Amino acid sequence: MEKIILLIPGIPIFIAFILFFVRKKELVPKISIMLSSMIALLGLYGSYYVISNDRPIVGFDGLLIYNQLSAILVPYVAILGLVIRKYATRYMWDEPGYKRFFVLLNFIFASIYLLVMSNNLIVLALAWQLMSVGLYLLVSFNVGSKTAVKNARWTMYIHKSADFVFLLAVILTYQTFGSFDLVVLKEKWLIMSANPVNDPMIFAVGLLYLLAAMMKSAIVPFHIWLPYTSEAPTPVSGLMHAGVVNVGGILLNKMAYLLILTPAVLNIAFGIGLFTAIFASMLMLVVPDIKRSLGYSTVGQMGYMIMEVGLGAFSLAVYHLIVHGIFKASLFLESGSIIKYARKDPPITERLSYNTFSKENIKYKSSKTFKLIALFTIVPVLAFIGAKAVLAPEFFEFNAAIVILAFAWLTGTQLFLSFFKVSKLDSIKAIFGIIGSFVLVLFSYEFIGLSLEHFLYGKDALLFYEAATLNVTLVSALLVLSLIMITGGLFIYKRHFVDFPDNGDKPNKSKWSFYKLLVKEGYYFEIFNSSKKGKL
Amino acid sequence: MISNIILLFLAGGVPYYFFLEKSDKFSSKSIFLVSGFLLLSAVVLTFFIDKEHTTPYVVISFLSALYSIYKATQTTNFYKLGYYFIFMNAPFFILFEGQGAFYSLSLLVSLLGIYAIASFYEKHYGSANYLYVRGITLATPLVGIHITVYLITIGLYPPLPNSLFFLTYIFNSQADLLWFIVVITLYFGNFLVSMRVLEKSIFGKTNPNIHYIDLNFKEKVTHFTIIMLLALLSIYGMREILLWVL
Repeated sequence: MEKIILLIPGIPIFIAFILFFVRKKELVPKISIMLSSMIALLGLYGSYYVISNDRPIVGFDGLLIYNQLSAILVPYVAILGLVIRKYATRYMWDEPGYKRFFVLLNFIFASIYLLVMSNNLIVLALAWQLMSVGLYLLVSFNVGSKTAVKNARWTMYIHKSADFVFLLAVILTYQTFGSFDLVVLKEKWLIMSANPVNDPMIFAVGLLYLLAAMMKSAIVPFHIWLPYTSEAPTPVSGLMHAGVVNVGGILLNKMAYLLILTPAVLNIAFGIGLFTAIFASMLMLVVPDIKRSLGYSTVGQMGYMIMEVGLGAFSLAVYHLIVHGIFKASLFLESGSIIKYARKDPPITERLSYNTFSKENIKYKSSKTFKLIALFTIVPVLAFIGAKAVLAPEFFEFNAAIVILAFAWLTGTQLFLSFFKVSKLDSIKAIFGIIGSFVLVLFSYEFIGLSLEHFLYGKDALLFYEAATLNVTLVSALLVLSLIMITGGLFIYKRHFVDFPDNGDKPNKSKWSFYKLLVKEGYYFEIFNSSKKGKL
Repeated sequence: MISNIILLFLAGGVPYYFFLEKSDKFSSKSIFLVSGFLLLSAVVLTFFIDKEHTTPYVVISFLSALYSIYKATQTTNFYKLGYYFIFMNAPFFILFEGQGAFYSLSLLVSLLGIYAIASFYEKHYGSANYLYVRGITLATPLVGIHITVYLITIGLYPPLPNSLFFLTYIFNSQADLLWFIVVITLYFGNFLVSMRVLEKSIFGKTNPNIHYIDLNFKEKVTHFTIIMLLALLSIYGMREILLWVL
C-alpha cells in the first residue's frame, strides 16, 4: 500500500498529459491544483510512514526511494507547488500560453520529485537533465521578450554544462565503485570511510559532484544565470529561488557519504561557499535593480548552504534550503501586493512594528544605537557559547559551530530589519528586538538543526563533521566569524543607520574602486564582452 | 577497414561535401532525403558487417562533424539543418557502430519531424527558412510544440530517445581520449545547434505582416505519428538503460 507513494513523480506528468486535452481555460488550474493536492497528501502520508516505521519505502527495483530526505523535501516541494499553482491561477490568466505554463510547471515539478526520490544515479541523471530543459522553457516563457530569451539561453548553457559534469561524475562513480544504486554505494562509502582514502579518482568524483551542484545552485562563478532571470513570470521566479536552486544542496546530501572520503572537496566547498556568501551579499546591497538584488540574495544564501555542506553540516543545509525557500518564495509572491499597496498609498503601509517601536521616537542617534546593538548582540553569543561549553563541549571540535553562530547573528539581524522599520529609531525596544530575533534564530537553528540531523543521519553526522573539520585552530575559525560579522555589520550599518553626507567630497580611491567592483558585479560582463570582441 | 570507409561515405557527409554541395542540380530538400537514406542504409549495414572501428576514420568523421557544426550554425534553412545534423553525428555512429544504430535511428525519426516541419514552412510560407517566420509559439502553438520536441530530442534531453541511447552507449563503453573528444563535441554540438534554432524559430514576437497558418489534419496526423515513434523509441531506450542498470 505504501508503495503508492513512489508514484509521486509520475503524477505531475499525468497532470500535464491531461492538461493537453483540456479545452476550458478555467479547468486548467483547477485540475492542476486538485491533482497536486494529492501529491501533497501522499507526501505527508509518506513522511508519516517513514517517521513512524523508521524505514524507507523502496520500489521500482530499487530505482526510487522515499527515505528520510524525501520525507522532508517532498511535502515541502508539494506544498510549495500548490502555493505557486494557486498564485499562478490569477497571475498568469491574461498571459498568452496559460495552459503551456501549467504543463511546463508540472514537468519541472515531476523532475524535482524524481530527483529527490531517486535511488539510482541513472534516474538522478535523467531527472537532473529533465529539470534543465523544463527550467529553460519556463524562464523563456515570455517568448516575445528578447532579454528573457537571451537570459534563458545563459541559464541553459550553465545548466547543460552542469548536466555534462554530472554525467561525467556518474560514469566515473560507476567505474570506481561498480554500482549505480545509492543505497549500495552508501554502504560502500561508509565502510571505506573507516580508513583514510587517498585515491585521486575518488577526489575527482567528489569534485565533479560539487561542481555540478555549484552550477545548478548558482554559486560564484556560475551564478550569473540566477540574478538575470527575473524577467520570467513571478511564479517561475518563486519556483526558481525556492526550489530549483536547491537541487545542488539535495545532490550533495545524497552524496554525503562519498564526501566523507574527500575532505579536500568539503574544504573547497567551504571556501567557495564562504566567498559566494560574502561576495553575493555585498553585490545584493549594491546593485540598483531590486530583482537582481533578490537574485544575488539567493546566490548568497546558496553560498551559505554550500558552506554548511563544506563544514559537514549536511542536515543544516537541508534546513537552510527549506527555510530560505519559504522566505524567498513569499518575497516573490508577495511582491505584486506590495506594488499594489504602494500605488494606492505611497508610504506603503504602516506596519504594526512601526507603530510600536518608532512612531513617537524619531531622534537620530545612529552611532550610539549601533554600538549598543553590537554590545547587546555579543552578550547572547557569549551566553550561548558558555552554555554549549558546559553542556556539549564537542560542539567546538567542529568548524560548523562557528557557522551556526555567524548565521544566527546575520539572520537574526536580517529578520529584525525585514520586519521592523529602524532607519530613524533609537529605542531600547529595537535593541531588544534585535536580540530577540538573534536568540530566536540561534535556538531554532540549534534545536531544529539537531533534530533534523538526528533524523537524517543519526550517529553518522559526526563522521561528516570530522571529515570536514579544517586543520586550523578555533582562533582562525573565529577570525572568519569576525570577518563575516564585521562585513555584514558594516553593510547593515551603512544601509540602515547612516545618511551619506552630500558635501561634494570625493570618496577614498580604494573604497571607490571597491564600490565600482561591486556595482559592476565583479566586471563579469565586461570580461565576457571583451573576450567576445576579441580584446582578450 | 572497408566497412569504415563505407560507413564514412554513407554517414559522414562525404558525398555531400565532395559532390552535392558543388552541384546546382540538387535542392537542399533532395540532399536531405538522400542523406537520410544513406544514413538508413548505413544503419542497416552495421548489422551485417564487421563491428570494429579504426581510429583514423573516426578522426576524419570527427573533423567533418566539426565542419558540419559550423555549417549548421550558418544556415537558417530547416532542410540544410537536417542533413548537417546527420553529418554532425557521424563520428558517434562510426565510433559505436552497431551500438550506435539505435541512436542513429532515433536521430532519423527526429529528423523526419524536422523534414515535416520544413515541408510545412515551404508549403505555407514559401521556403523552409525559419528566421523570417518568428513568433510561431504565440501564433500557432501546436507547430511550436512540435519544433520544440524535435529539437530538444536532437539536443539530447531525456526522456527523449536520442538522449537515452546516447547515455546507454556512453555508460556502456570504455572511455579513452578519442571517446572523450567525440562525446563532448557531440553532446555540446547537438545542444548548441538545436538551441540556436529553437531560439530563432519558435521564440520572438508575432509578425503582423505574416498570415500564420496552423497544421491541417493530415499534417497533424503526420506529426502525431512521428511523436508516437519517438515515444516508442523512448520506451525502448528506457528499457535498455534500465535493463543494463538493474
